Amino acid sequence: MMENLKEHRVEYFILTIVLSVFIVLIYFFRFNKGMLILLTGIGSVFYILWGIIHHWIRGKLTRSVAYEYLLFGFLVFLLFFTVLSF
Amino acid sequence: MSDISSRENENSNIVKYWRKEPKSIEKFQFVYHFLPKEEKKRRADLLDNKAILIYCIIIFFVTAAFRFIPKVAPGVLGYASDINISDLLKYTNKKRQENGASNLTLNSKLSAAAEKKARDMFEDGYWAHVAPDGTEPWDFIIGENYEYIYAGENLAKNFSTSREVVEAWFKSPSHKSNLIGTNYDEVGFAVVNGVMDGYETTLVVQMFGRPRQPSMVAAVYEENTIPQQPQVSIEKVSAEVIPTQEEIVLEDFDVTEETEEMIQFSVPVNTEPFVDVTTATKSISLAFGGFVGSLLGIDVWYSRKKGIRKLTGQTLAHIMILFVVVASIWFVFRPGIVI
Repeated sequence: MMENLKEHRVEYFILTIVLSVFIVLIYFFRFNKGMLILLTGIGSVFYILWGIIHHWIRGKLTRSVAYEYLLFGFLVFLLFFTVLSF
Repeated sequence: MSDISSRENENSNIVKYWRKEPKSIEKFQFVYHFLPKEEKKRRADLLDNKAILIYCIIIFFVTAAFRFIPKVAPGVLGYASDINISDLLKYTNKKRQENGASNLTLNSKLSAAAEKKARDMFEDGYWAHVAPDGTEPWDFIIGENYEYIYAGENLAKNFSTSREVVEAWFKSPSHKSNLIGTNYDEVGFAVVNGVMDGYETTLVVQMFGRPRQPSMVAAVYEENTIPQQPQVSIEKVSAEVIPTQEEIVLEDFDVTEETEEMIQFSVPVNTEPFVDVTTATKSISLAFGGFVGSLLGIDVWYSRKKGIRKLTGQTLAHIMILFVVVASIWFVFRPGIVI
């Protein structure tokens, strides 16, 4: 795992920064459901793009990998949306 | 006879084959679905794209069911709550003290106005400061013969505790200006349970006011209508607090009848719906997030142990995003709404 992190340190650095900002914003707007849904949507789209661009830069992007990020992005959005929508 | 012996030979050959090639029976083992595939260079079956799509579909249909059930069975789903006026007043005044504002006293007329507003929202099925027929919050206050110089209203629903309600008002700039506003001297609360949009819930109405003519008798009297102290008799309080010259006024007032009325509508009954929608949706999300996260953890561990290299997306990144979402749902999320 450490080799993997070293190999992709720039991408993981960006992901860590964005996820940290995401958590801070979620905490800041924790009483504003509309904003939370918007933040979750933006976070999911960012993650899908991060995954696709990451694999595209390294020439390892396949249709299956693109679907995988799309599905994971959709899954995390649904997990949050299910709780937020009630 | 020859048929039976040929079958026995066939079974014996299969068993010999399994003993020789144990990997061939792996797919019949339950654990096989949880582990990455070396030969296919892929993750476990329960983590492939088809499985993730199935999880998304299940979550989508559960969410849809939670929307549909209240339409066919109102009140089955709801928001469990334990909110009371005593705590609401306590936390409101605590916030005011922290921000340099004076304490508010509970006023029965404002509480009655808040009560009527809450019941009106349940009866007419709206969730707003202004009713569909144009009735404004001030109409409820004036309807209780409360003459004010300043008045304000905060609303909240779907919260679990009194502290959460006051915290949510404090975090919202427009509600905060009411909560710690120095233009107000008195406050009234209503905590009313009912079914709104098919969900059993608790509405909290907070009404602020500065009376045109402040009344000491009224203020003292109201303090004894706090629901958690209904056993305190009005006579005892009048002897301790109310000045002698105002006792006559208190006697003229129909204290007993109004106190009973206040206690009747002020004491909240905890909402315990058949299914608490907040707990249910949170549990579903955490269960799915935890399940997929655990599978990804097993994937990392087993791949490292067996030296499996997969042609998939970044497992560590999936774990990170799932962890962030699960942590946000667990620690940060509050279900209530304030307007």
